[in-house]
Amino acid sequence: MSTDAVAVLGFLVLFILMLLRVPVGMAMGLVGVTGYSYIVGPGPALKLVGQTSMRTVTDYTFGVIPMFMLMGAFVSISGVSKELFKAANAFLGHLRGGLGVATVIACGGFAAICGSSVATAATFSSVAYPEMRRYGYPQSFSTGVIAAGGTLGAMLPPSTVLAVYAIITQQDIGKLFMAGILPGLLAMAMYVMTIAIIVRVRPELLPAGEFKPWKERFKGLKDVWAPLVLFAFVIGGLYGGVFTPTEAGGMGAGGAFILGVVRGRLNRAQIREALLQATRTSAAVFTVLIGALLFGYFLTITQTPQKLTEFLTGMGIGRYGVLALIMVMYLVLGCLMDAMAMIILTVPIIYPVIVHMGFDPIWFGIIIVMTVELGLIHPPVGMNVFVIKSVVKDVSFTTIFKGVLPFVATDLIRLVILIAFPIIALWLPQRMG
Amino acid sequence: MKRNFMDRVIDSIEWLAAIFVGLVAADIFISVVLRKVFNTSIPDSYDFGRLLLGILIFWGIAATSYRGTHITVDLVWSSVGPRMKRAIDIFATLVLMFVVTVQTAMLFDKVRGTWNDNVLTYDLNIPTWPFFAIAWAGDVCAVVLIGIRTWRLIFQPELLSSKPETQANE
Amino acid sequence: QDKAVQLKLSSWVPAQHPLNPALQAWADDIKKASNGSITATLFPSEQLGKAFDHYDMARDGIADFAYVNPGYQPGRFPVMAGASLPFLFANGKSGSAAIDAWYRQYAAREMKDVKFCFAFVHDPGTFHSRKKITVPTDIKGMKVRPATSTVGQMITALGGTNVQASAPESRDMLERGVADAITFPWGSIGLFGIDKVTTFHMDSPLYVTPFVWVMNQGKYNAMSPAQKKVIDDHCTTEWAEKVASPWADFEFGGRAKIAAQPGHEVYKLTAEQTEAWKKAVAPGEAQWADSVKKAGQDPKAVMDSLKANLVKYKAAL
Ligand code: NA
Ligand code: NA
Repeated sequence: MSTDAVAVLGFLVLFILMLLRVPVGMAMGLVGVTGYSYIVGPGPALKLVGQTSMRTVTDYTFGVIPMFMLMGAFVSISGVSKELFKAANAFLGHLRGGLGVATVIACGGFAAICGSSVATAATFSSVAYPEMRRYGYPQSFSTGVIAAGGTLGAMLPPSTVLAVYAIITQQDIGKLFMAGILPGLLAMAMYVMTIAIIVRVRPELLPAGEFKPWKERFKGLKDVWAPLVLFAFVIGGLYGGVFTPTEAGGMGAGGAFILGVVRGRLNRAQIREALLQATRTSAAVFTVLIGALLFGYFLTITQTPQKLTEFLTGMGIGRYGVLALIMVMYLVLGCLMDAMAMIILTVPIIYPVIVHMGFDPIWFGIIIVMTVELGLIHPPVGMNVFVIKSVVKDVSFTTIFKGVLPFVATDLIRLVILIAFPIIALWLPQRMG
Repeated sequence: MKRNFMDRVIDSIEWLAAIFVGLVAADIFISVVLRKVFNTSIPDSYDFGRLLLGILIFWGIAATSYRGTHITVDLVWSSVGPRMKRAIDIFATLVLMFVVTVQTAMLFDKVRGTWNDNVLTYDLNIPTWPFFAIAWAGDVCAVVLIGIRTWRLIFQPELLSSKPETQANE
Repeated sequence: QDKAVQLKLSSWVPAQHPLNPALQAWADDIKKASNGSITATLFPSEQLGKAFDHYDMARDGIADFAYVNPGYQPGRFPVMAGASLPFLFANGKSGSAAIDAWYRQYAAREMKDVKFCFAFVHDPGTFHSRKKITVPTDIKGMKVRPATSTVGQMITALGGTNVQASAPESRDMLERGVADAITFPWGSIGLFGIDKVTTFHMDSPLYVTPFVWVMNQGKYNAMSPAQKKVIDDHCTTEWAEKVASPWADFEFGGRAKIAAQPGHEVYKLTAEQTEAWKKAVAPGEAQWADSVKKAGQDPKAVMDSLKANLVKYKAAL
């Protein structure tokens, strides 16, 4: 068999194994090592397993993943999401659609300390959904705005997916985090505008809540100082060059722990729960990382990335044509996989193409994470939607997707804006020097 | 009764991994504070950090494998009937067991190599193989636990909750 | 007619690094000498595996030839660590010939899992810092990113703190004040942007990093006698110097470039200052001698031989 045929067969078997629910990382490892063994020999292939597994789990830079996960876990377990929502709601709840806007803003605030989009969506399903329903918001809109707001978790720093993208492509994690800030804020602004348009077109859909006196508003503001301080500390330290990314994660976790304990929001059981959460998600992510590296060595040996680059650039559809093609592929994959798995599996193959065509690697990180996040909310399936459904039991998938559609449309417009104006993503990291 | 015992074993394994997450965070936090405030450092904090990370991940993978909370593609699985679901689960677990067994064997090879080659930490020149060995023990646990999981899936499916919870992995 | 052999050459430095074209030229010469029966593909930038694993990769056949920094695994190659002791090498080109001629005697024993091809060094590196370093006592309280574990031990002995970071991360470390100084060769300073974050450069050949280029033993054994001869002819002291030369030139040229940049201070040491440094680093040699003794070798004989070769090839300080 030619190496090309082996590579194609490898992809085929990989997809079959994944569809048969073999864990993504294990499937990649198995196919990668088998293919490698066919081309290079079983001896080196087996040695590669031990070497790659041990090297990956003892790589200091990868420590950034469990650290930011731990920070997010401490923060969400200490009840910050509720406070953020309460504060935003005190100011905006009395307006038509105000609860929706409050949800977007609270999601953004939570995203500034939590690195995961799915976790953000899960949190607000239990915090904001019951409130919106209480004031008569329809199920579809309430779940839709949470699904969309959740994606802010991966765009605004810290972001685990952006960190993993940075590690895979050997880019600066700090710069990628900075690059996510303006597109994240743009997303919030555009979600708010979307809600405003919905209110304009169907005013009866989103009734106003009650007016909260100024006293209560300021009380709400007083409760949210802790997450703001933590964000300023971690992201400011990263931007200002005080910490390295892994250190920022460790400082964030330590800071969240101290704040939680001092404010009496973390007891022993909750500390334990946060540590366990971080362990579980890290173990799952590292399994995929190891598998992807093994699969990647197989692809290197078959020279797949070079051949793909030649093929795509030889198609004569121009660099934006190729970019569009890649994004369509991601949207399709978004029906199958979660964001992290998609990034880890595909970036090593796609990245050389992007660099070859002269796109900016930092900018592409933002574009790709946005596209992948879009995959988490667009029909027919999406991770954020699944998570919301697991929290809000009595709602159907169709209802959630109906509610999320206006936000999917907004996201597509935002994607076009970011492709047309890369400076939105690149302005902050360029100022970092 | 038997099930309670098993659950306690898994809980302990997971808790062990979780303690190491805390240790890594503490290692980083304390090193940064020492550096910024006292202009000094824990010797080998870099090597300790990454070696503890290795331990936490392999012990974490043991628990994750037993609970069936790895990142998976559920598209087909979620759209078929219970019999088919069970068949898919058994197949996937058998593959998982095969992969983790091979990985564990090769990791042993790696631990032995590190021991033979006298690889030391950077500052204190402590041998690194004991850390690797503890991490490897986590993978051994994974094999045992996946074995138990496979046995139960095939012969005592009522003992495993039929629907592993979907997990947020990102 | 010899059977066609394909070789995977693995280098962990980025594609644009001057070592890669030199390795490619070496491989091209092998192809020519073997009448095309031995061909090679060079994989740069850690495509086949991480930098730290390159020795094992050659041993296990993951790569057929691998570029190894033995210092990445402190304790594993005690004899070779002797070459990374401070103030031995005057330059990279003839220094490469010297280290190769010297290490050839020990390679079969210390690197027994692989077929040793040749050893080489880069042009000597030195301190680049944010605060001026002239005497050993200046290191006290400083945070330094050392190039090798031997330099690291010197920093610890002088009361400084080591900061570990990969070459690409180093700039960040300096910018963030995680490190105050770095030991680095001159040309690479510009390559990794470290000239943007350091001002002071001590003009003294402080240290070199030893490297080896090794082969998978099984791959060698499976070759025909004629092919083996081609490989042997390319694993020589002459080739060590030839492969190391473009990189040495590149690093050497870096000094003039930095000196020409405004805002940089490149300063020489007085004879007394140099003497103080040599005295300060002496305990490092004792520590190294212990580890060599433990490995069953005579440290004095090893060091004398290294110094003799350095003199012979005109690379001694
Ligand atoms: Na975030
Ligand atoms: Na989708």
